Amino acid sequence: MENKDSLFTVEGMTDEELFARVDHNSLDSEKITAPRYSYWRSVFRVFFRKKVNWIFLGILAFVILFAYIYPAVVEYDKFGNLMDSTAKHLKPAAAMKKFGYNIHWILGAGAAGQSTFDAIWNGSRISISLAFICAAINMTIGVLVGAVWGFSKKLDLFMMEVYNIVGNVPSILLISVLVLILSPSFWSMVFALTITGWLFIAYFIRTQVIIIRDREYNLASRCLGTPITRIATKNILPFMTSVIVTLLAVEIPSYISYEVFLAYIGMGMSDMSLGRLIYEAESAMVTPGWQFEFWSPVVIASIITVALYVTGQNLGDASDPRTHM
Amino acid sequence: MGKYVLRRLFHGLISAFVVVAIVMIMIYTLLDKQLIFAADNVYKNYGNNEKVAYQYRKWEEYGYLDYFTYTDYLSLLIEKGELTEDEKTKVASIGKKPENDKGETAEYIEKYNEYCAANGYEVVRLNAIMVSPKKYANGGAQQLFAYKALPITHRLVSYVTHLITVDNVHYVEREIGDELENPGIKFTLHDPVYGGEKFAPAIIGNGTKHKYLLYVDGRFPFIHQNLVTLNLGQSYAVNQGVDVFETMTKAQGSYVMSTTTFPTGLTEESADDLHTAVYVSGSMSANNVNSDRFTDDYTSVTTVKSGKSKMGYSFTIGIISVLLMYLIGIPLGILMSRHKDKFVDKIGTAYIMFITAVPSLAYIFLFKAIGGKLGFPTTFDIESTSKMIYVLPIISLALRPIADTMKWLRRYMIDQTNSDYVKFARSGGLTEGEIFRKHILKNASIPIVHGIPAGILGALVGAIITERVYVVPGAGNLLTIAINQYDNGVIVGVVLFYAVLSVVSIIAGDVLIALVDPRINYSGKAR
Repeated sequence: MENKDSLFTVEGMTDEELFARVDHNSLDSEKITAPRYSYWRSVFRVFFRKKVNWIFLGILAFVILFAYIYPAVVEYDKFGNLMDSTAKHLKPAAAMKKFGYNIHWILGAGAAGQSTFDAIWNGSRISISLAFICAAINMTIGVLVGAVWGFSKKLDLFMMEVYNIVGNVPSILLISVLVLILSPSFWSMVFALTITGWLFIAYFIRTQVIIIRDREYNLASRCLGTPITRIATKNILPFMTSVIVTLLAVEIPSYISYEVFLAYIGMGMSDMSLGRLIYEAESAMVTPGWQFEFWSPVVIASIITVALYVTGQNLGDASDPRTHM
Repeated sequence: MGKYVLRRLFHGLISAFVVVAIVMIMIYTLLDKQLIFAADNVYKNYGNNEKVAYQYRKWEEYGYLDYFTYTDYLSLLIEKGELTEDEKTKVASIGKKPENDKGETAEYIEKYNEYCAANGYEVVRLNAIMVSPKKYANGGAQQLFAYKALPITHRLVSYVTHLITVDNVHYVEREIGDELENPGIKFTLHDPVYGGEKFAPAIIGNGTKHKYLLYVDGRFPFIHQNLVTLNLGQSYAVNQGVDVFETMTKAQGSYVMSTTTFPTGLTEESADDLHTAVYVSGSMSANNVNSDRFTDDYTSVTTVKSGKSKMGYSFTIGIISVLLMYLIGIPLGILMSRHKDKFVDKIGTAYIMFITAVPSLAYIFLFKAIGGKLGFPTTFDIESTSKMIYVLPIISLALRPIADTMKWLRRYMIDQTNSDYVKFARSGGLTEGEIFRKHILKNASIPIVHGIPAGILGALVGAIITERVYVVPGAGNLLTIAINQYDNGVIVGVVLFYAVLSVVSIIAGDVLIALVDPRINYSGKAR
């Protein structure tokens, strides 16, 4: 009994010292004593916890920076060595012996005696620009239209018809016709890739919106009289963030791959993008000693796409609030 | 359910035709019509006025416009009885310049101009181009013709109405204008192609376009028909004058000779397939080769060839890679989901990531290089009897679908594992294997089943990069070749074919999951 009493009485202290009266404060009572949670801070905390993400982000940053800085600093002239018949199709060792030991020639020389190393970085810059611009346009339009499409049942009937029809027009036909009408330039390629490209993203977003739209918490929110715009921005958009980031991770590299594909079948643009380099070096692939010209752009395209894809996928995983525990 | 499927099918076909209309507007109105001559050698050889006239003739052939020459007009007058043949020859030759026309000719040219103006034709008169007072320049003869542009609706309607033709006994009379002695259809139990003694039923027509409307032979599917033909559109550059569907389905390769008995009784080694005989006006008496062999004007035959058709090659490669996709992708997907976050799962995820992220061109070339090192043939040769030529194209084509199947199946199975009914089954005391087989796998396989028809029908279409890299003579490249050569007929035909296939495969997928999953019901009100 004595022991139990001593739990509640502190030696040498009176009740007044131990207890103080607290007044009721309506402002304080509203505060929730949970640990502070910031969404984006949690996203990056989860993202950077994995070592592999540091590596891929590093590769990605290096490739993108190099692709933009190197061609801006170094003068590249594809036909600079055109008249020199001994400069064509050189292996790295031979090219370095001929032109001197510098960074330009570590991948040998191409069909016009140009430096393969310079060519692939110029190509990377064009391909990366194309991918980012197309992804930015398509994702912006696609997400906005998709959100409205998911909410409006009247629009849904109409848009599904549009989707069924446009989805059946072969994209290579559309692109080649547009490129023929306009000109095989960078911006007409952007136009050709974005004129219908947003529709497929909008369709994907529409499906996601419909899945979340009719969940119980949204139903409850609607019953309480929340306006539809507030439901869209506060209830659904946070849910969509990880979906959008994951989609972006697939979209950006896919434009690089698609550009390579289009160039390979002879429908690409005239700029010397990575696809165009692969297309022009195709015959070099089977010639012994010339393989560097072909594999260099293939490998750099693969590195860029893989780095973009892995970083994006892991960022998408990290932006899912369920992983923030 | 039947009603529902029919409604969907009808709806789908309408959208397929809308697609064709859009494509027609795109290629006929947006593209310069000069482009169709890009790969035309005849066009290159013509000069001056003849070149212009040739252009208009070809544009008429490909449905851009209606071409109506002065000679056509004179023939029209003869038909009406306003002109005789003798008069026609007198007024037919026009002057080198309009002011050189002779009195009577000038009168008729004036009438021609009036007629054209009344019917909405635009008259074109090209003056002679001379290198010296007596000598014409190459193709420099004077020309007089008129044309009328055809609206896109006209083209679409005539395309749709000519899509399916049913052969009939009035074909020769109506379309060609020849009189035949006794048009009709004959049924025989002893096909004359086999000597007339062997039992082989056939329906033979006279006055029809094809001689054999129905016949049997030793090739799959053994019973063949020529009664109903599909006209997807004529090719201009890819396979001149041949229908798109025939381009896709016609055998390729070298001739297969066999002992053939022709209708006259002549027996020789020939690759001709007599069952394909088509009527060509006056062809029997045209040359000795035909008159020695045939007893009527059904002389145009195709030949038997050793290889498969374009679609045949694509389908062979495609269907095997679809099989591989299910045989390899499903077990691997299951394995990954059962060992989530273990070593197998990580290897699988790396593979999926590689295939999804890397441009398909890059990994196809990589596998070509590896396969070549291992000693597999890297170029496709129709004449080769070895089955090894199929190995690399099939593997290249299967890589991507295997990765997709693995990815989705893994995802579905992990989702199912966390669901309530699985927890309930486990609490009910079922073994893990039983839960996996009877509950998770069944539910997770429904989305996979939905894709089966699309996979099979998609194999007909072929693959663009794989076929190009391994030089497979398949159907996948048809559209890109047609686009590169500005072959409008092929583009339209191929687009319609693709659109119908995609409509059918989605509907077939929906029907299939309704058969597999009893919860899905299209006819009830619960939908």
